Amino acid sequence: MDEKQCTFRIYRSNIDHDGAECNVRREEFSLAVNARMTVLDALEVIRRDQDSSLMYRHSCHHGSCGTCGMLINGKRRLACLTQATALDGDRIDLEPLRTMTLLGDLAVDPSPLFADFPRNATYVRESEVNRDCRKPFEIDRWERFEDCIECGLCVSSCPVTESFMGPAALAAHNREIINRPERRRELLAEVNTERGAWPCTRALNCSRVCPTGVYPAMHIAELRKKVEEDGLTPAAEPGEQRSAETTP
Amino acid sequence: MSSYHAVVIGGGGTGAAIIHDLRLRGVQATLVERGELTSGTTGRHHGQLHSGARYAVKDRSIARECMQETYILKRIAKESIENNYGLFVALDDEDLEHAPLFMQACVESGIPIKEVPVGEACEMEPNLNPQITRALMVPDGTLDAWRLPLQFFATAGHNGAAIHTFSPVTGFHYGGSAVTGVRAYDLKTRSERTIGADLVINATGAWAGQVTRMADVEIPITPGPGTMVAVRKRLTNMVISHLHPADDGDILVPQRGLSIIGTTQYRTDDPDDIAVPEEDIANMYACADTLVPSFSAQKYHAAWIAARPLVGAASSADDARNLSRDFSVVDHGKSDGREGLLTVIGGKATVLRAMAEQTVDLVCAKLGIDEPCRTANTELLSHRAYFT
Ligand SMILES: Cc1cc2nc3c(=O)[nH]c(=O)nc-3n(C[C@H](O)[C@H](O)[C@H](O)COP(=O)(O)OP(=O)(O)OC[C@H]3O[C@@H](n4cnc5c(N)ncnc54)[C@H](O)[C@@H]3O)c2cc1C
Ligand code: SF4
Ligand code: FES
Repeated sequence: MDEKQCTFRIYRSNIDHDGAECNVRREEFSLAVNARMTVLDALEVIRRDQDSSLMYRHSCHHGSCGTCGMLINGKRRLACLTQATALDGDRIDLEPLRTMTLLGDLAVDPSPLFADFPRNATYVRESEVNRDCRKPFEIDRWERFEDCIECGLCVSSCPVTESFMGPAALAAHNREIINRPERRRELLAEVNTERGAWPCTRALNCSRVCPTGVYPAMHIAELRKKVEEDGLTPAAEPGEQRSAETTP
Repeated sequence: MSSYHAVVIGGGGTGAAIIHDLRLRGVQATLVERGELTSGTTGRHHGQLHSGARYAVKDRSIARECMQETYILKRIAKESIENNYGLFVALDDEDLEHAPLFMQACVESGIPIKEVPVGEACEMEPNLNPQITRALMVPDGTLDAWRLPLQFFATAGHNGAAIHTFSPVTGFHYGGSAVTGVRAYDLKTRSERTIGADLVINATGAWAGQVTRMADVEIPITPGPGTMVAVRKRLTNMVISHLHPADDGDILVPQRGLSIIGTTQYRTDDPDDIAVPEEDIANMYACADTLVPSFSAQKYHAAWIAARPLVGAASSADDARNLSRDFSVVDHGKSDGREGLLTVIGGKATVLRAMAEQTVDLVCAKLGIDEPCRTANTELLSHRAYFT
């Protein structure tokens, strides 16, 4: 298979004993990549052969766990679904997602992402595939996991600067209302707040960047509609519509 | 709570279930993982919740254990399971001949198996190969390879376990010949940390041999890598398996919006030295098409590889396939004169809880702790609770 020699320019840093970032630098690693290799595969080889101290997150290697989000040549992507040779040029720039807490190098602690998720939201939904087909009598419905893999790419691409629950948590609220209509009142009250469904400016970066087609912006719009349908007073004015301001 | 402290090395599914069990029995517990949690084999596995049917012909006891654990996981971790059952389908005369043996083995292993008339099977799963000649249903399902262990980590963390990621273990501390702690290098702060322990549990899967070697102990473990290929469309809701003796590419696992075919079987000495062999891709597509003919018409999503932690020594891939999927807990005090160190080897992601129960039973016996295992009846917290 065709190989291409690439230079990976990787953001490196550590944290000191007080948790502050230190020792920030960029380091370059040269590697031959073939057409099958993803950026994550390349990181695995670099860690194995060139620098065993390199930190990055990964687990599933196929876009299901959501741990490997990073900035690849300035774009927010999953390293495990980004073919290295498909990127322009032979220099690949890697940076961590700064909307989460940095642990060092490309690794982040995603805790901030989960702060505003609905409590005890289910992660299993009805499968729309063959929904109306015959089922074994042992089960009531075909089911599958939610599309959202909780990677945080949407949050990291969102241009809203004021305090905001953010696209992932809001999409999760709407999904939970769909899955469990009995929680509608409770969850609408959570999103009908100043930092809930209203600060969104419909830049739509989140929907563009989402690797699994969740379309968070659509969920935010649906939440606003539900607030209206239920006769609740909106807690704030909707954010002023603007076009994309940062690269997704 | 006891004042005993156990250190678990390895943050895969096995380590996750062990640290959870340790905390439920009141043992102080610390886990160290060299990278992110489940960044070894666990996160990358095929995602099948095994009813045990696949193993029943060869090994009834493993099959029975898979079935029991499937029932338990459906109770304690239902948020990490797509509970849609599985179909074993016959494609040719040889498969039909295999069927009675397979059914009997399932019955003897306590796996409820049900004949589904071919017409009905095709109504349930319209993308199935219409040429199938028989379909048998078993309680298989799909696991979330990351979120299932995370549910164990979340619960352990809320119960007071200390979990350190990005902290590879680099060596042991000894009192005489006994292990009394581990040395771990914290990559975040670039500093070494010493953690004392009454017992150290090596749960590093395919890496277990590398870790015991740091304590001058050899164990029989063969890393057995296998390839998986995913396409970007969910073609079935049930897990579809080929009704024949286990072979390459004979299981199709649906997950979210994906269909995933697997797997192959190699052997390697270094579980970090694995890459998908290019020929596996075409081979996997061809295998998938025999079960669900539209598989290869879908958009390519990803191909990846993971190393099984097989118990035993194998010199070839065929040897490796014949190694058991069973697990064992080795007390290195007994077998190698290295007190203070236990190693868990082998197993499947589906039986993580049972592996932990057996390991922590031994921990408690060694430390003189009289606490029963409670994990089978303790519902786990949401995976998100790990981060909140
Ligand atoms: C191709 C394939 C498909 C499979 N499919 C299925 C399936 O569908 N269903 C199923 O039930 N099972 C499946 N399995 C089996 C299952 O994946 C494994 O049995 C299980 O994940 C092993 O878990 P573990 O925790 O023991 O090992 P691991 O997940 O490998 O955990 C060991 C951990 O130890 C860490 N480690 C290594 N060295 C050190 C060190 N020095 N210091 C600190 N940490 C260290 C590693 O980073 C790793 O995270 C599959 C396996 C393979 C290979
Ligand atoms: S909505 Fe999409 S981008 Fe946002 S966290 Fe979920 S999967 Fe990631
Ligand atoms: S490693 Fe799981 S999404 Fe990339």
